[in-house]
Amino acid sequence: MTAGTRPPSSAAMVRLVAAREASSRLRDKNFLIGSIVIVVVLVGIMAFQIAASSGSEQARLGVVGEPAEVEPALQSQADVLGIDLSVVRLDDDAAARAAVEAEDVDAALLDPAGPRPELLLPGSDAQLEALVGGAVTNASIGGQLAAAGVQLDVPELAVTPLEQDEGGDQAAAVALISVGLLYGLLIMFAQFVAQGVVEEKSSRVVELLLSTMKPWQLLAGKIIGLGVLGLGQIAIIAALGVGGALAFDLVDVPGDLVGTVLAVVAWFLLGYAFYAALFAGAASLVSRQEDLGSVLTPTSMLLIAAFVVSIQASADPGGGLATVTGFLPGFAPMVMPVRMAAGEAAAWEVGLAALLMLVAIALVVRLGGRVYAGALLRTSGRVKLREAMRAEHA
Amino acid sequence: MLEFDGLHKSYGANHVLDGVGFAVAPGSMFGFCGSNGAGKTTTMRIAMGLARADAGEVRWGGTPLDDDVRRRIGYMPEERGLYPKMRVGEQLAYFARLHGLDAKAAARASDEWAERLGVGARRKDPVEKLSLGNQQRVQLAAALVSRPEVLILDEPFSGLDPVGVDALAEALLDQCRQGVPVVFSSHQLDLVERLCDSVGILARGRIVASGTVTDLRRREAGRLLRVVVPEARPGWAAALPGVRTVSEQAGDTLLELLPGTDDQAVLAAALRTGPVRHFAWREPTLVELFREAVADEPTEVAA
Repeated sequence: MTAGTRPPSSAAMVRLVAAREASSRLRDKNFLIGSIVIVVVLVGIMAFQIAASSGSEQARLGVVGEPAEVEPALQSQADVLGIDLSVVRLDDDAAARAAVEAEDVDAALLDPAGPRPELLLPGSDAQLEALVGGAVTNASIGGQLAAAGVQLDVPELAVTPLEQDEGGDQAAAVALISVGLLYGLLIMFAQFVAQGVVEEKSSRVVELLLSTMKPWQLLAGKIIGLGVLGLGQIAIIAALGVGGALAFDLVDVPGDLVGTVLAVVAWFLLGYAFYAALFAGAASLVSRQEDLGSVLTPTSMLLIAAFVVSIQASADPGGGLATVTGFLPGFAPMVMPVRMAAGEAAAWEVGLAALLMLVAIALVVRLGGRVYAGALLRTSGRVKLREAMRAEHA
Repeated sequence: MLEFDGLHKSYGANHVLDGVGFAVAPGSMFGFCGSNGAGKTTTMRIAMGLARADAGEVRWGGTPLDDDVRRRIGYMPEERGLYPKMRVGEQLAYFARLHGLDAKAAARASDEWAERLGVGARRKDPVEKLSLGNQQRVQLAAALVSRPEVLILDEPFSGLDPVGVDALAEALLDQCRQGVPVVFSSHQLDLVERLCDSVGILARGRIVASGTVTDLRRREAGRLLRVVVPEARPGWAAALPGVRTVSEQAGDTLLELLPGTDDQAVLAAALRTGPVRHFAWREPTLVELFREAVADEPTEVAA
């Protein structure tokens, strides 16, 4: 009679619950549409970045005569200035003038190797002037020295662009976008947990569930199932963002970008564990979806406050507010990524913030779990927090 | 043996259970009756570990129920509950798996029970799309789908149409035949009378009467006599000593005989009025037994 039946382990129960949570969300049209919207918005932001950055950093230079002598010098100058230079060969001065006027090229260089080199431009362009000027000078010096029979052993210059400031800005921008995303995902998935808790209470299915498992197994399964889904979503977005940014060359320091994104994903996990347990505990106090809003207000406020502070922190990542809130559990998952990206957080600070966060998670999970267990079977009206804490399986 | 032993439970000053105890043999059906608020649901919730008894315990096969044993119990709560947006088939399979069936066995059991309870065609529909009666059938299937060793059902028949009642009754009897003890509560006493081997009547937190329906009848029998005397004038039995007329309608008379009254004297009196078409002790219905049991208590206390 009991063939095919064996007592499932706790892990198996949690897995079953988690699988149900994830699969029922994956079939939820609203969830799918929401996810697609996020991806579309992200792709849109990247497309905008590409469009905005492409105009200024590309240049077409026409060169009259044989460009071979000056082209290496032109390209190395272009590299230093961060310009994507393409060199076009033109037949004579008249053709050069025509090409510039027709805007086939951004500028034309006449007589590059001769005594009177000349640059034709539609208007003034300091960057191109500097580029070509430098290249012509270098090529000329090289040529004259060679003609004088001087063999110069020119040391190869190691070029280190001192763009740390710009790189930091970029990382901060990435962190800010990521934090926005993180906030969106945190509030979305914490809400999912809360809705799931209330759905089970309002449909009364919770009584049937609790006759087969402990409240903590149900809670753990719910949080883990939705957490895996959230992690999957943030991983897809991160992969898309990083992949796109690298493919289209939107960032200067890819290492920083990847580091920032990884930090954001890690902080998402910590933040999610914290807020999911908090939201679940709060949600278990009510039995109807209509009452969910009021009971979630305090916990949502905390999350919103953290978001607002993190935006402020991105403007002043070394400031007092950012420093203090960076350690505050609940705030840390939003503020710390910004500070880390700005290079304002020392390793020990990050470690301490993560440790505090873990302690807070342990506390909230215990507390939230206790409220949850105490309030779960009270399906009439709203349970008082203190009652739920005391009840715990009355 | 499924034993409920001396269960006590109070919520604050309210003593809900005051030593509830009864036993159900494997393969027998136990009907649990009692007025609203008598403590039936609390008793069942204690058995399922959803409420903690202040004292007493529930045992199956001699061992107190723990989580592992409870997983082998099919339970139907008074407050019906299923995931509204989950499909019927998947939902049943999910509950089967929570009770420890593996994925394949769960899918098979889900199909089988959906079919047997007449919702086979709705397997792919979300539960919320089903009528209330069909949702009820799914709820029952959820209790039965794990091939439980014990069934504890709180008001399983409420809300079912007569066809659904028959389908469920058949399913429960089938479980009984396979040796499963079944405990169910119900207000539909005719059903309890028809299905149950034994009955327990709960009033004010205590079992006030229990045993087989026949036993209970015997206890109450010998008091009501039905006599049909078409030609008798109204009030024909009023003068008989030790006899009280309960009801009388065109000669169809229901008489209550006080202890010690000779029924043959009543028969002689009846024959004096003309022909006697019917003369027999009337077996009380469970409804009457129930009223009696529930009503008795305060008078006993008063006396």
